[in-house]
Amino acid sequence: MNIWFRQHRFALGAALSHLRKAPGSFLFNVLVVAVALALPFAGVTLLDNVRPLSEEMSVDPEISLFLKADTPRDQAQALAPQLQQILHGSHAKVSFVPREQALAKLKDKSGLTDVIETLGDNPLPDSYVMKLEGFTSTADAARVDGLAEQMRALPGVDAVQVDSAWVKRLAALLGVLRLALLLLAITLGVVVIAVVFNTIRLQVLTQREEIAVSKLLGATDNFIHRPFYYTGALLGLCAGAVALGAVALALRPLNTAIAEFARLYASEFQLTPLPPLGMAALLAISAGLGLVGAMLSVQRHLARLK
Amino acid sequence: MIEFQSVSKKYSDSADTLALSDVSLNIAKGELVYLAGPSGAGKSTLMKMVAAIERPTSGRVIVNGQDVGRIRKAGIPFLRRNLGLIFQNQRLLNDRHILANVMLPLIVTGATKAQAEQRARAALDKVGLLDRAPALPMELSGGEQQRVAIARAIVNRPQIILADEPTANLDRAAADKVIDALHAFHSVGVTCVISTHDEQVLDNAARVIRLEHGHVTGGGA
Repeated sequence: MNIWFRQHRFALGAALSHLRKAPGSFLFNVLVVAVALALPFAGVTLLDNVRPLSEEMSVDPEISLFLKADTPRDQAQALAPQLQQILHGSHAKVSFVPREQALAKLKDKSGLTDVIETLGDNPLPDSYVMKLEGFTSTADAARVDGLAEQMRALPGVDAVQVDSAWVKRLAALLGVLRLALLLLAITLGVVVIAVVFNTIRLQVLTQREEIAVSKLLGATDNFIHRPFYYTGALLGLCAGAVALGAVALALRPLNTAIAEFARLYASEFQLTPLPPLGMAALLAISAGLGLVGAMLSVQRHLARLK
Repeated sequence: MIEFQSVSKKYSDSADTLALSDVSLNIAKGELVYLAGPSGAGKSTLMKMVAAIERPTSGRVIVNGQDVGRIRKAGIPFLRRNLGLIFQNQRLLNDRHILANVMLPLIVTGATKAQAEQRARAALDKVGLLDRAPALPMELSGGEQQRVAIARAIVNRPQIILADEPTANLDRAAADKVIDALHAFHSVGVTCVISTHDEQVLDNAARVIRLEHGHVTGGGA
């Protein structure tokens, strides 16, 4: 075990030593990889900020059930137990709204009393309004649709309206954004691997003699490969840190603009950097991409050296 | 210790020429053997086969009881750790000082830095170059560089030293120092195989294996 640690320490030291010999080249490569990583990192940060907003948003969907105009009042009121049965298991507040109450409310709210007076008969039907509670995530929207479908089949029902469509649209939009971000991350991940692959290829070429001599002196393949693996992982790690820093810096001017926009909606919404665990995960992914690029390059180019 | 059994070698890029043709020879433990012959005789190819740098096209090469032609790729480094290789052009790493060059065979085996440094200094002392430990290879003469290569070859306390034309490109005085150093290691029981086309070096040799056009023409038995 001691030898294992010693050889890894040696490999890390060798990788750092080679980086110190060509710091300009290393920094340039870090910048190139950081630019590629910054875009998906920014996307992840944005989604991480928006996700709780959409999830915690109180959906509280309302289902409005309108009865046919000729439905007798007693038959309309008799629907209440059936509605409760459909809503069984869901916390819901069911209110019967007689057509007279609906008209009075319309007059009161619309300010069109005179116009409504000219209609003569009340054109509004009896209705039920059901406020569903505990439906706090966008994923619940599909369940509401299922309930509405069952209510449409009840006798005397003319129409059922669900007002949670906008929540579904938001969920769909976030889904599209997530997919787009995933595709972007995969594409830029390939770019990162390609950059590291080429960096390591150049290192293998410049260290060809050292590699050949080490092999003749009894170095194993692992001993020769390890410093390149560390170089790739370090490159990815440093680039990841730079990309995270760039995204954190970009949040300041963005938040200034967002604050003005959010104020219009009485909100104090602000974009915040990722939590430490999220940052650590992104750094690990960056280092992992660097490692993969280095492994592919080493396997390909060292195999050609006899 | 080293045994060649009807070994032939044909390089893929050569037409029908065999670098070695039906070579059979034995080198016993503790022997000092010279391989002599003109350039292209097959001396380097023979050395490379002992170190598993090349594999025989036919026949068997046995080193320390291991069939080099059948050894797995992963086993080659461990075979080489028992060999001390000295090349005509030294192959020192020019961006590392002398001490680091000599420490390298120990570092690759997982020795601690302190252990490696101590043994590298002792090896440099044996070839009379301890005071040049902090120098870079380019700051040394050809003869000194070859002696550093010898120090690097013996630092791992190998059972066999393979020296391929170690005196080529050296003046007589430097060549004598190199040969003296190799003889010194042979005197403590190390098997030494030295290839050369310098007839003067062979004057006091106990055993000389002569090669010509890939054939053993003398001393192989």
